[in-house]
Parts: sequence; C-alpha cells; structure tokens
Amino acid sequence: MAIELNGVTYETDEDGYLIQLDLWNEEVAVALANNENIKLTDAHWEVINFLRDYYDEYNVAPMIRILTKAIGKKFGQEKGNTKYLYELYPGGPSKQACKIAGLPKPTGCV
Amino acid sequence: MADIKTEQLTGKIKVPKINESAATEDRANRAREEQNVLLGFPPSKPDNWQEIALNKMGELLTKYKSLKLFLDVCVKCGACTDKCHYFLGTGDPNNMPVARQELMRKVYRKHFTTAGKLFPGLSRAEELTEDVMDEWWNYYHQCSQCRRCSVFCPFGIDTAEISMAAREIMNSVGMGQKYSNEVLGKVVTVGNNLGIEKPALQNSLEFLEDDVKEETGTDVKFPLDQKNAEVLLIAPSADFFSSPHIEGLIGYGKVFHEAGVSWTMSSYASEFANFGMFIGNYDLMKKVAIRIRDAAEELNVKRIVVGECGHAWRVAYSFWNTLIGPFDFLDPEHRSPAHICEFTLDLIQRDALKIDKSYNDDLVVTFHDSCNVARGSRMGNSPGGQFEIPRELIKSVCRNFVDMDEETIREVTYCCGAGGGLLTDELMDLRVKGAMPRAQALHEVMERNGVNTMAMICAICKAQFTKVLPEYGVDMSVVASVHQLVSNAIVLGGKKGV
Amino acid sequence: MKGLSTLSLVFIFLCYTSAAIFLAGFVRKVYEYAVTPSPLKIPTMPAPTTKGGVVLRMTGEVLFFTSLFKGNKWTWIGGYIFHIVFLLIVLRHLRYVLVPTPEVIYFIGPFGIHAGIILVVSAGYLFARRIFVDRTRYISSGADYFALILMALIAATGLAMQFLFMADVSAVKDFMVGLVTFSPVNIPDDHLFIVHLTLVMVLLVYLPFSKLMHAGGIFFSPTRVMVDDCNEKRHINPWDR
Repeated sequence: MAIELNGVTYETDEDGYLIQLDLWNEEVAVALANNENIKLTDAHWEVINFLRDYYDEYNVAPMIRILTKAIGKKFGQEKGNTKYLYELYPGGPSKQACKIAGLPKPTGCV
Repeated sequence: MADIKTEQLTGKIKVPKINESAATEDRANRAREEQNVLLGFPPSKPDNWQEIALNKMGELLTKYKSLKLFLDVCVKCGACTDKCHYFLGTGDPNNMPVARQELMRKVYRKHFTTAGKLFPGLSRAEELTEDVMDEWWNYYHQCSQCRRCSVFCPFGIDTAEISMAAREIMNSVGMGQKYSNEVLGKVVTVGNNLGIEKPALQNSLEFLEDDVKEETGTDVKFPLDQKNAEVLLIAPSADFFSSPHIEGLIGYGKVFHEAGVSWTMSSYASEFANFGMFIGNYDLMKKVAIRIRDAAEELNVKRIVVGECGHAWRVAYSFWNTLIGPFDFLDPEHRSPAHICEFTLDLIQRDALKIDKSYNDDLVVTFHDSCNVARGSRMGNSPGGQFEIPRELIKSVCRNFVDMDEETIREVTYCCGAGGGLLTDELMDLRVKGAMPRAQALHEVMERNGVNTMAMICAICKAQFTKVLPEYGVDMSVVASVHQLVSNAIVLGGKKGV
Repeated sequence: MKGLSTLSLVFIFLCYTSAAIFLAGFVRKVYEYAVTPSPLKIPTMPAPTTKGGVVLRMTGEVLFFTSLFKGNKWTWIGGYIFHIVFLLIVLRHLRYVLVPTPEVIYFIGPFGIHAGIILVVSAGYLFARRIFVDRTRYISSGADYFALILMALIAATGLAMQFLFMADVSAVKDFMVGLVTFSPVNIPDDHLFIVHLTLVMVLLVYLPFSKLMHAGGIFFSPTRVMVDDCNEKRHINPWDR
C-alpha cells in the first residue's frame, strides 16, 4: 500500500502505517487521516504534535494516561480523559493516532 | 470495522450451522523478512520448504508426547465441535477443534503413518502442499490456544499443542506471523513487547508517581531497578501503556506501599508476556523467560511477584521451574512466583491493608476467567485456586459481585477472542466474532443483575474487550483490572502494613 | 499338525499372524507413547496435585468417560453403552479360550448375549449421529464409519451364531483352545463362524494403525496424567537439561 502526494510515494504497511517514518509531514498526516475518515481539527493536531514530541524524545509512544493528562492541560480538565480521545480517534488514541502522527504501530497487548 | 456483522445480544450462546469458508478471509499478516531473521528463522519460504517442514514435524513428533499422541488417538467423537468460541462466532467448520487438528493430522497420516501411506483415501491422508500450508496459515492463526476444547475431550487432546507445533513448523520455513514475531523481536532486543526503552519507562513511572500523588496526596513509589528490594514485580508491558491496564499497575503500587514491602520493577525484564509460547518455540520462550531470572539475580531480590497477565502466568506457574529453574537464589519460602492476586489477598486476609469497600459501591462487578489462568495454571494451594482467589480478592474490595452463567466461567470459561497471538488488527473480524460467547454471557448479567464492570487479570483480555465490546454496543468502560478495584478501595495511610 | 485341513491351516496361520500384528503394533505404539518426552507440564487445569489424585482422575476418565460427559451427553450415553457392552462381550468370550473357565465368566454369559444386541444398536446410534448432526458429519471420514460397521458386523455375526444358526459351541471352543495352547485343531465347518473370526482378525490388524489406538493412548495423555506439582517438584525436560 502507498499514499501518493504531489508526485511523491509514501509506502505504508498492511495496517496503513508509514514505513519510512522520517518522510512524515503534515500533508501526509492529512492524507493518512482521510484514509481513516478523520478530519483533523486543532484538537487532533494537539494529539499528533504531542505524540511526535514524545516519540522524538523517548523513541516510543507515551502511555495513554500521559497523553490524556497533556490534552487535559491544554483543553481543560473535562477533555483530559480517554473518552475524549476516542471521540477524536475512534480507532483508538494509541493505534489510530500513532498511525496519523507517523509513529510506528504500538505492539504487544494493547 | 463498521462492516463486521455482530450477533444480537440475547444472553444466549447459540451453536451455529456449519458455514463453509466463513472465516477464510480472516488471515494473519506475514512477518517481514528481517523480523523472522532476528528470531533465528529463515527470512522467507525456501524452495525446499516442504522437506524442511516435514523434517521439523518429524522432529517435533519425537520431542512432544502431546503432539504424537494427540495426532494418533482422536476418535472424532465430536465432543469438541461446539466448544471453540471461533466456531461459535463464525460457523466455519475448520474452527471446530477436531477439524483444526485434522489439518495437521491429514499430513501426519500421509507422511508418518503406515495406514495413511497404504490407504490414503480411507482416513483422509494428504501431502503437505501449498494449499494445505495455506489452510494451516489461516486456521492455526485462528486458534487462541485457550484449551477449552481439551476440557471436553475424552483423551484430553489439546488443540493448543497442535497449533503451537504448526506455528513452529511454519516459522521453520520462514512463515512467521507478523504480530507475534514483531513483539518477540522487541522483547529480545529492548526487553518488552512495546519496545519501551529505559528512559521512557522511567518517565512513565515518574509520571505515575506524580499522578497518584496529585490524586491521593500520598507518595506511592513505582521503583525501577532498585537493588536489594524484597520483591521484583514483573508486569506485562501493557500495564505501562494502556487503559485499564495502568489502573491495575497503580493498584499494585498502592498495595506494596501500604504493605510496606520494598519492591522494584526491572528495565531489563520489563515484560511478563511470553509470546514464545504462542509460536510454540521452546528456545524463544526460554530466552524471554530467562531475562526475568537474570534480573532477579542481578537485583538481588528475595522473591518474584507477577502482574495481571494470563498466558504469562501459565508460563510462570507451569513452565518457569522447568525452563529457568531452580530458583535457589530466592528466599526458600518464596521460590515459586506469586501472582499479584495471591499476594494482595494474603495481605488483606492478614489485615495488613485497610480497605473501604464503599469506594466501589457504584460498581456491580463480574469476573472474566482468562483462559490461560483457568486451564493452564493454578493459584494458592489447592486446585481451582485460580478461580477462587481472584473472586475472593474482588469480594474483599467490592460489595456487589455476580458471576456470569456457570457454563461460561471457571474451568469452561470462554476466551476473550484474541489470545494466542491473535490480538492484531487484521484479525478484527475474527476477534469480534470470537468474543461473542463472552459478550452474550456478560449481556445476561448486565440485564439481570445490573452488572457494569467486568474485571479481569489478563492484558490481552483487557485490550481485546475494550476494543470489541463496543461492537456489540457495550461500552468499553465495563472493562476493569482486578487491581483497579483494589486501587479504588484501598485506604492509603490506613495501616501499618505487614 | 497332522490331519488338519487346508482351510484350517490357512486360518490357523491367519489367526497367529493377525494376533502377532496386533500385539507388535500395539506394543510398538505404546512404547512410542511411553518414551516420547513431555518437555513441559501441561495438565489441563484444575488438575490433581498428587499422583493419587491423577489415578482418581484417570479412573474417572477410563471407567466413566468424565470429560466426554461434560462435553456431550448424547455422545456420552451412546459411546459409554457401546464401550461397556464391548467389554462384557470380550469378557464373555474368555470362556472360549480359558480352561477351566472361571465362574465369573459364566456369570457374565447371559449379559454378554444382551450385550451383543446392545452393541449393534449402539453402533447404529453412533453411526446415525455421525450422519445426522452436521458437525459430526463434516468431520467423519471413511475410517470412522468403517470402525463402526466392522464392530456391528462382528456383533451381528456373533448373534446370528447364537440365535439363528446355532454354532457348535464345543467345536468352536476346541478350535480356540487349540490356538491358545499352540496345538491347533481343525476349524469348525461353520461359515458364520469363519466370517465372524475373519472380521475379528481384521479388527485386530486394523487397531494398532488406527484411531482405535485411543484404547492404549488414553493412559499416556499428558493433559490428563500429569500432576500439577509444577513448583513443588522441578519437572525436567529431557532434551533441555
């Protein structure tokens, strides 16, 4: 599978995750989100940016509680919970959000 | 996701009519070449794959009594045919345990028995062809190795043993399953299924300390790599990542804190899960397990306590002593691993923790027995402790507990639908359908008793149910860790501990 | 050997051959089951924690088919009756080979006759179940039907000798005793008996190479015979010491 954007091909794996993570850019994110039927809002971007920053530092996606807390800080306590994240990313805040943010797929019992 | 047809919840589990090829589209992804190579398997299928596979099968037949015997003695009585959750969910006849076994048995007859060589037609003997291998790929990755079939078999035939052997054979010819092999690759390189390196783990645990402090005002520690602690706690790495897994981990932390028992986790052995079992590879299972032994020795702990993870508890309880024992460097009183449920219940029974059940009064709780705990392990001193101890623990922290239909719990519990290496997105259709029996039983107690919480002690079960129950219209918030309930009810600063 | 007819010679030869194949085949299989290692502890839990407990568990499995009972009551009732009457019939037949015949075997005698009828009926029931339940129909192959038909035919020919065309019981006994004492005599001139005997020889030869080996295999099933003492006693994997 692959995504075509402005003449560039972005390879994805069977699950739709980017294979070359360093090729990620915001346009790719939009295209990846389209594949998942998600229209990216500011809140979505906040999640994406947080995930990418965390990944840059730690080489892995953050635990879900770290993410919810960060979102809560930014958008208010009432949004700092898993339920809100599932509203943003119905396919799961870890897996689906990671996919769009250009992170590898979280593996294991998750 | 939206196009998965789920059965209407009525509370009743119906045995479907046979629907041939109903699950042929449910196919696990193949591992990439480098993922196979990392584990010591060939990158891809070699030209002489058939020869290699048959040699491997011959080898396994001399190394595993279970395999040899189980391929011989099935009389096809049919007792298992309506026992597999994947058959009940899909109706695909190859998901009847006996039919799943037959996929290997027909090759066994052809290549390894006199009768099959002489009269191949009488009892379906078949060459190991591409097509047969393709069926293996399909249906040996539709077995969650839950052992439910083996309970009802007059000869104790355990399809898990056969599917493990099949996966071992497939791996020997470069046909690895992506999900399991990718996970195993991360364990042997980084130390856990998720690939969480030490700095990230440290960050996560510090975050948890702050979070619990903020919520409770108490300094509950989540220590990492602390030498000379009394207890080494080994949790499934999902406890560092997902919900409601983390809530369980917080529960463990509060228990140790209140009991005043020094404890630590390990960044080297930061994984309890052991997918080596799923792919039937003894050496990898040992390689994954031995990290825990090494960490325990290195950290100079007195005992090992393990977190909520189903198949890993089977590996720990039933296999560790053989694989990586004897544990003669541990405290003589505690040479066998303790399950966190045993550990906590013991503390509560000794009155070492202060519990206020009223914190859980908004919950009506039921317990999902995880397959590997139920049929592959034990807790406590007598058979069946694996059923009683978690229930006792729940009842000691909650006032409202109800069991689901007895045909669906304890020894005959239904798998969540994603064990055995099937907790992967490409198998979502199968996972949703395989969860049907549990969803029905849960629905019944939700309707009848107002159950709003299903507690469990397995990381795979937790991840699976939060994902698939919503497909049945059940909110994911019903899924809970057992130690999440403990965490709710424990009164911090209330006791002097042990 | 003098005075034996050609037919007798042929059958005496076949009897010894089939008995030898049965014994050798059965022993070989059991030997394989016994020596193939069990690397890990895999009893289906909850399992007994002592050897005595395992004896109880196995007694239940062998004498009462406890697991099958849990699994499917309809199959259990048919299968259980089938096996019980088969056992009675085998015991009853000891009177053809044991001299003197123990009292207890005579006692079984009358039950044995009823058992023959019940064996045919229960085999028919199991056969019908294979055909009429869609799941068992799917998994049944020629071998499964063959075993049931063979058993039913053996029982039917036996019953026919008893009720329709009375066999010369003392001649049959002389022949059988001759076989087991290695001083064979002429085979009775009774077509029904010859058919009956032939079918039994087919069964003997077929058994060790077929699913009928469950008779010996059940005693070695690791999920049933292993003790749950994983941590009390270290189980050693012989190929990974």
